[in-house]
Amino acid sequence: MKRRDFLKNVAIGSLLAGVPSRLLAQEGGLPDLAMIQGDSPGQITKEAIAAIGGIKRFIAKGDVVIIKPNIGWDRTPEQAACTNPEVVKAIVELCVEADAKQVIVMDNTINPSQRTYARSGIAEAAKEAGAKVPFVNPHHLKKMALNGEWFKEWEVYTDFVEADKIINVPIAKTHSLSRLTMGLKNWLGAVGGSRNQLHQGLDYAMIDLAKFFKPALTVLDAYRILLRNGPQGGRLSDAQLHKTVVAGVDYVAVDALGATFFDIQPEELPFLKLASERGIGRIDLEKLKIEKRTL
Amino acid sequence: MKKERSKKYRLLQKIRILVQLFFFGLFFILLLKTRFPGEDYISNVEGFFHWDPLLALTTTIASRAFFIAFWPAVITLAVTFFLGRVACGWVCPLGSLHQFFSFLFKKTKLHRPKKLQDNHTVWKYYILIFILVSALFTLDVVGIFDPFSFLYRSIVVGVLPALSYGLSAFIGLFYQLNLTGIGDPMIQFFENLNINAIFLQGFFIGSIFIGIILLNMVRERFWCRYICPLGALLGLVSRWNLFDLKIDKERCIDCGLCTIQCQTQANPFPNEGWKSSECVYCLTCSAICPTNAIQFPGKFAAEKIESINLSRRKLLFTSFLGFFAMPFFRLTPARQRASERLIRPPGALPEDQFLQKCVKCGECMKVCPTNALQPVLSEAGPEGIWTPRLDPKIGYCDYYCSLCTQVCPTGAIKELTIEEKNELKIGTAWVNRNRCIPWKFGDPCIVCEEHCPVSPKAIKFQKIEVERLDGIIKTPLAPLIDLDQCTGCGICQNKCPVVDDPAIYVTSIGESRSDKNQMLLDIIKAEENIF
Repeated sequence: MKRRDFLKNVAIGSLLAGVPSRLLAQEGGLPDLAMIQGDSPGQITKEAIAAIGGIKRFIAKGDVVIIKPNIGWDRTPEQAACTNPEVVKAIVELCVEADAKQVIVMDNTINPSQRTYARSGIAEAAKEAGAKVPFVNPHHLKKMALNGEWFKEWEVYTDFVEADKIINVPIAKTHSLSRLTMGLKNWLGAVGGSRNQLHQGLDYAMIDLAKFFKPALTVLDAYRILLRNGPQGGRLSDAQLHKTVVAGVDYVAVDALGATFFDIQPEELPFLKLASERGIGRIDLEKLKIEKRTL
Repeated sequence: MKKERSKKYRLLQKIRILVQLFFFGLFFILLLKTRFPGEDYISNVEGFFHWDPLLALTTTIASRAFFIAFWPAVITLAVTFFLGRVACGWVCPLGSLHQFFSFLFKKTKLHRPKKLQDNHTVWKYYILIFILVSALFTLDVVGIFDPFSFLYRSIVVGVLPALSYGLSAFIGLFYQLNLTGIGDPMIQFFENLNINAIFLQGFFIGSIFIGIILLNMVRERFWCRYICPLGALLGLVSRWNLFDLKIDKERCIDCGLCTIQCQTQANPFPNEGWKSSECVYCLTCSAICPTNAIQFPGKFAAEKIESINLSRRKLLFTSFLGFFAMPFFRLTPARQRASERLIRPPGALPEDQFLQKCVKCGECMKVCPTNALQPVLSEAGPEGIWTPRLDPKIGYCDYYCSLCTQVCPTGAIKELTIEEKNELKIGTAWVNRNRCIPWKFGDPCIVCEEHCPVSPKAIKFQKIEVERLDGIIKTPLAPLIDLDQCTGCGICQNKCPVVDDPAIYVTSIGESRSDKNQMLLDIIKAEENIF
C-alpha cells in the first residue's frame, strides 16, 4: 500500500469510526460522560463503559483494537504513575467479549519497557485477559503527516494508526509543565523521535496528537490520582485514592472532568481551553450530560 | 604392528567435546540470563567466577580480605590436585573456544601444527607471578588476564553488541521486504533478551578478543599455552595427579604425531618428556595415536613429577616487575583527585578498595537495564582500565534497580537492596545555564524535572525572566538542583534535549563512597542557618 493511500484510508476510517458514534451519543440519549466510583477498579471501569452505551457501541466484531494505557514509569500501581492494571484488564476483557479479532496493549515507555511493563502490573494483567502486550518496535516508526495546527509531522508508531479502533486509557496525574496529564498528554507515548523536544510546545503538541489519533473511546483511570511530584510520584503519599473512572467519547470532556478532581477548572488549563476554542471537544461541564454513580 | 586407533579414547574425546559444549552453553546461558529478570532480585548468575581460584587468590591478596563466596574455587584446586588440569581441557569456556578455533584453523589449513621444542610455555607462569606479586602490593591487574573475566568482558562489550547490530540489520531486511510477520516476533524476542549494544570501547575490546582468537593460527590454543595465568596456577597445583600418560613402547612407532597434534605443547612423546603441568587431558594424543599406544592409566600412589622449568633469574625479574608495577601504575592523578566523569555504580567501595577487588569482568555492564555502565579507559588511572563507570549520556541508574550490586562476583560493588541503594549518592547534577533551553532562550522545557525519580524531586524550578534577542521577555520555568535530594542517577542528563553536551549533567562529586570527593563542609550541611 502506498503511503498516500494508507493515510487516506486512515483518514476515512477514523472519520467513519468517529462521526457516527458522536451522532449516536446525541440521538440515543446516552450521557456524554460516565463517572463511576467504587472499590473495584475493574468493576467501575466496566460500569462506566456500560453507562455510555456499552463496549459494542465502540468495538465491532473482528476489530483490531489497540489500547493505550500509560506504562511510562518503573512504578507500582500504588504509586499511581501508570494506569491501573485492573482498569486495563477490564477493558481488554470487554474487547474480547465483543469479539475483537485482536487486542493489543502497548506504550512507548520512558524507563526501560521490560521494567515498566512488569512493575506496573499491566503486562501480566492484560495478557491474562487475552491481549497481546508487545514492546514498541522501532521498525514500526513512520514519519507521518499529523496536519495539526502547530505540529505538521512526526514519527508515529504505525500500530496506533493501523488498528481499527483505539482506546485511550490514561491515568490522572499532575505535571509541572501542563499542570495535569490525562488523555491528551497520553499520546506522547504513541510517538517516537525526540519526544523530549515536545515540551517546548507541549499544550499545542498534545492537542494536535489527540486530534490525529482520534480514540474511539477514552477511559480515564482516577482510581488513584497523583497529586504531587508528577508525573511519576514516588512516595505513596504522593498518590491519593480517588476510586473513580471516567469514560467518554469526547476526550476533551473526559480531561475536563478529570481536572476537577484536582480542584482545577478546565478553562484554567491552556490545553483544554485551546482544544475547546478549536471545537475539538467540550469543556463546559455544566452543560454536558454526565452520569455519576457510586457502586 | 596392526594400525588401529583407540576406540575407547576416541569415544572419550567425543564425550569431552560434549562436556565442553555443555559448560560453554552454561556459561553463555548464565551470561544471557544476566539481565532484568522481571523482579527486583536476581539469582546467582555470576557463580562461574567463584570457581576460579586465580580470582579468589588475587582478590584475597590484593584486598587483604577473604570473600566467602569464593569457596568453590577450593573444589577446583582439589580436583586439579588429584586429576591435573582437566578444568582447562574439559570445563573452561575460553579454553573450549580456543580449541574450537584451533580445530577450525587446522581444518582450513590456516594453521599447520609442527613439532616444537621451545620453552615459551613458561611465559604464562611469569604472567602469573607478576599478577600475584603486584597483588601483594595491592595492585590488582588479574582482570586483564583472567580467562573468565577476559571472555565475559569480551562477549558483553564486543561480541554481543556486534551480533546484535548484525541481527538488527538482518531483521531490517524482513521489514524492507514487508515481511512484518517474521520481523515482529524476532524484534520482540530480542527486546526480551535485553542486550546492551552500546559500548564506548566495543571496538577496542572486541578487537583484542579477535586478535587473541586469531593467535590460534600461530599455535593451537595460543592463549592457554603462553598467556593464561589461571592455567599456570592450575599447572603448578597439578604436580601430583592420579592419571599419568603412559606410552606403550612396544606399540609406539615413533611417528611423533601425538606431540605435533598436542593442544598445549605437553610433549607426550617421548614418555619421559611429558609435562603434566601443561597437559589439559583433552586426550587428543591417545585418540589420534595410529597404534593405540597412548593410555592414561589411573594410579593411586602419589608420584612427584618433574617440576616446571622456570629460570630463577626470570622469576626474580618478574617479581621485581610486579613490585615496580604498583608505583608505575599509580603515576596518575586519579588517586589524588577524582575524575568528574568517574561515576561508579551505586554500592561501589571507596576507590582504593574498589580497585583491589574489581576484576573487570563486565557482569555489571551486562545486567544494567539502561546500558549505563561502561568500561573505563583512562578516568581511573592505568589500573582502573575496564572497570565500570556510569555514563549518563548512554544510560542512567534506574531508580528501582540494584542489579549491578547483586551480580558483582567479588563484592567490589557491595550488594544492596533497592531501599539501601536509594540512600546513596553516586554523583551530583549540575545545570549549565549557558545551554539550558529555559535559562538561555526562555522556552519551556524542564524535561529533567519530569524525569527526576526521587520524591520530592531533586530538580526544582523557578519562574525566571529571559529577554530574548528579539527583545521579547519570556517567563519560563527553569531548573534548579536540590543538593540534598539528588542521587546522581543521571536520568536528567540522559533525557535532556540538548543531546550533544547536555545542559544538565552529573559529575562524581558528592558520591557517598568517598570522603574526599565532597564540596560542602559537613557542619554547614548539618545546620543550615549557622551563619
